[in-house]
Amino acid sequence: MFTPLKRFAATAAAALVPLLAGAQTTEVSFYYPVAVGGPITKLVDSMTADFEKENPGIKMKPIYSGTYQESIVKALTAMKSGEPPVLSVLLSTDMFTLIDEGAIVDWTGLATSADDKVWLKSFYPAFMENSETGGKTWGIPFQRSTIVLYWNKEMFKAAGLNPDKAPENWKEMLQYAQKLTRRDASGNVTQWGVQVPSSGFPYWLFQGFTTPNNAILMNKSGDKTHFDSPAVIEALQYWVDLSQKHKVMPPGIIEWGTTPKDFFEKKIAMMWTTTGNLTNVKNNAKFDFGVAMLPANKRRGSPTGGGNFYLFKKSTPAQQQAALKFVKWMTSAERAAQWGIETGYVAVRPQAWETVAMRKYAAGFAPAAVARDQLEYSVAELSTHDNQRVTKALNDGLQAALTGTKKPEQAMKDAQREADRILRPYRK
Amino acid sequence: MPAGASTNGAPAPRGFGHAMETAGAWLLAILWILPLAYAVWTAFHPAEFATRFDPRAPLTLENFRNAWNAAPFARYFLNTTLLVGMVLAAQLVLCTLAAYAFARFAFFGRDVMFMLVLVQLMIMPDVLVVENYRIMAMLDLTDTITAIGLPYMASAFGIFLLRQTFKTVPKELDEAARVEGASALQVLWKVYVPLAKPVYVAYGLVSVSYHWNNFLWPLIITNSVGSRPLTVGLQVFSSSDQGIDWSIITAATLMTSGPLLVAFILFQRQFVQSFMRAGIR
Repeated sequence: MFTPLKRFAATAAAALVPLLAGAQTTEVSFYYPVAVGGPITKLVDSMTADFEKENPGIKMKPIYSGTYQESIVKALTAMKSGEPPVLSVLLSTDMFTLIDEGAIVDWTGLATSADDKVWLKSFYPAFMENSETGGKTWGIPFQRSTIVLYWNKEMFKAAGLNPDKAPENWKEMLQYAQKLTRRDASGNVTQWGVQVPSSGFPYWLFQGFTTPNNAILMNKSGDKTHFDSPAVIEALQYWVDLSQKHKVMPPGIIEWGTTPKDFFEKKIAMMWTTTGNLTNVKNNAKFDFGVAMLPANKRRGSPTGGGNFYLFKKSTPAQQQAALKFVKWMTSAERAAQWGIETGYVAVRPQAWETVAMRKYAAGFAPAAVARDQLEYSVAELSTHDNQRVTKALNDGLQAALTGTKKPEQAMKDAQREADRILRPYRK
Repeated sequence: MPAGASTNGAPAPRGFGHAMETAGAWLLAILWILPLAYAVWTAFHPAEFATRFDPRAPLTLENFRNAWNAAPFARYFLNTTLLVGMVLAAQLVLCTLAAYAFARFAFFGRDVMFMLVLVQLMIMPDVLVVENYRIMAMLDLTDTITAIGLPYMASAFGIFLLRQTFKTVPKELDEAARVEGASALQVLWKVYVPLAKPVYVAYGLVSVSYHWNNFLWPLIITNSVGSRPLTVGLQVFSSSDQGIDWSIITAATLMTSGPLLVAFILFQRQFVQSFMRAGIR
């Protein structure tokens, strides 16, 4: 949407720039949300500055856009007003929503050279599950995470457990948690065995139960869910029993944001949370801790999570080429390793783990590699058409079961009915 | 504030009733101050003491230093001040003129227009985000402080409030001024505005605190440090993947709400009186 003034400025700039820089400058705006603590905005700024230095024809405009939810609101608002960003980091699960809105273009059509094609295939397959549909790649993995189990080694020792061995399976996790839960004389719990947060996005943690129980929550085309399958209900029963039957986990809804704090304060012996927390725990835990894959049941498994790069439709071919160059640069082995080390996210491609910096980091801090090793067993995060509403149906059901207002079976049947109702129009 | 106001000015009730009222006021005041007290505690102590009360905990300013360094807050302060000042100035002028017209002049379609203004009161500004963005894009104003303030300048609430106030001014005063030869604008300036002073103060406070705290629209319409207000800057600390570092977030919150709190404490008496007279809560 050009006004005459802007057009004049653009023309003037276009006329001047070749004289000054010897080449035309392409400006690429990109939105990114921040979901981990620390001065991430400064890290992004310095990385884009490095990129510009190596690519003089391209001007990057990084725009910090709030949380993931606020970022998609901002991106879609800007798009509907005709001024979308060229590039944006948004949740990998927003893929179907963005496609349905006609907001994004796929990378497959853009990355056509032999080198590009190799690059598209260079990421961990677990991350690509949420990034591809209908044979096309719509998102490039960038700040990606997965759920792992953290445990307090001192508490394990005090409870007579081997401090270097995390629970391998569901049975062990329950046994350990029973030994780790402590009560004072009047029966009040002073230390909980395990804590799995359930506020905000319980569906994601729930996938840490359903995946090991061999249940997949949705199909690949994102128009059918399986919330009421017996394996899913069984997984929910196990989760609910941890607090309601065995009383080794705090009752009710457990706050996601304060769970790491409870862990630092030694109120809990084991917690489930994202690998994005690794740097945080490393800096703040005043005791020896371990990081392990989630306990297995019928198999191992955990969902992936986090954000992908999306390319918006309403951008010029020159901008799209520049964006491709930038995303390739940001996900190059060295940069992916740097991003992983400084933020705690899982470096998104195997080559990143071969770099000198990453090897040194992983050698000095073994937990960093746990998330990577778990990727082999990881599955896609729940993502469907009209994702926010379908996810909410499941979240409501999970919280109803965890607070005890509904039986797990009833809760999942209700969630499935609601999801069916929302998804019906998308089934062709 | 509500608690303090309840006993202020009214004839003092005696005995039991009075004691109950005082106890109630204290209870409400304590409930109201608790989050703030928690913020002060957490902000001045190391992170280990965020959820533990220990009077011997060491004091620190580290949290403030970290918060200040995490984002260009000096610039954000300037932006917020500019924004709030600009919006308030424009609102006062526009609302005064509009309210005067609605209150004292008879013209064709006056009541319909006033109804339209009232309709605006019923609509949440968040609903209009896309349309507002489109207009700002057309005006080539995206990513400016003006763009944040523009949609709020013709405030329906301000017009309504001032119109009601102007209507209570005795007609005789208006006529007396006219007899003395004052023009319409002079009457407004010499008679109506001075009489509505408490309303202006009260409205000013509501407007300033609203725009100081507004978040969604500024986040969406701005892209760069040069135009973003404090609230958007604060958002850096809500790291949803990682949990919340209460120490830093409370330090940053105290820092950013500090000026408003100080202003309120300084002008507390005027504010309370204005609110009582203007009848806003």
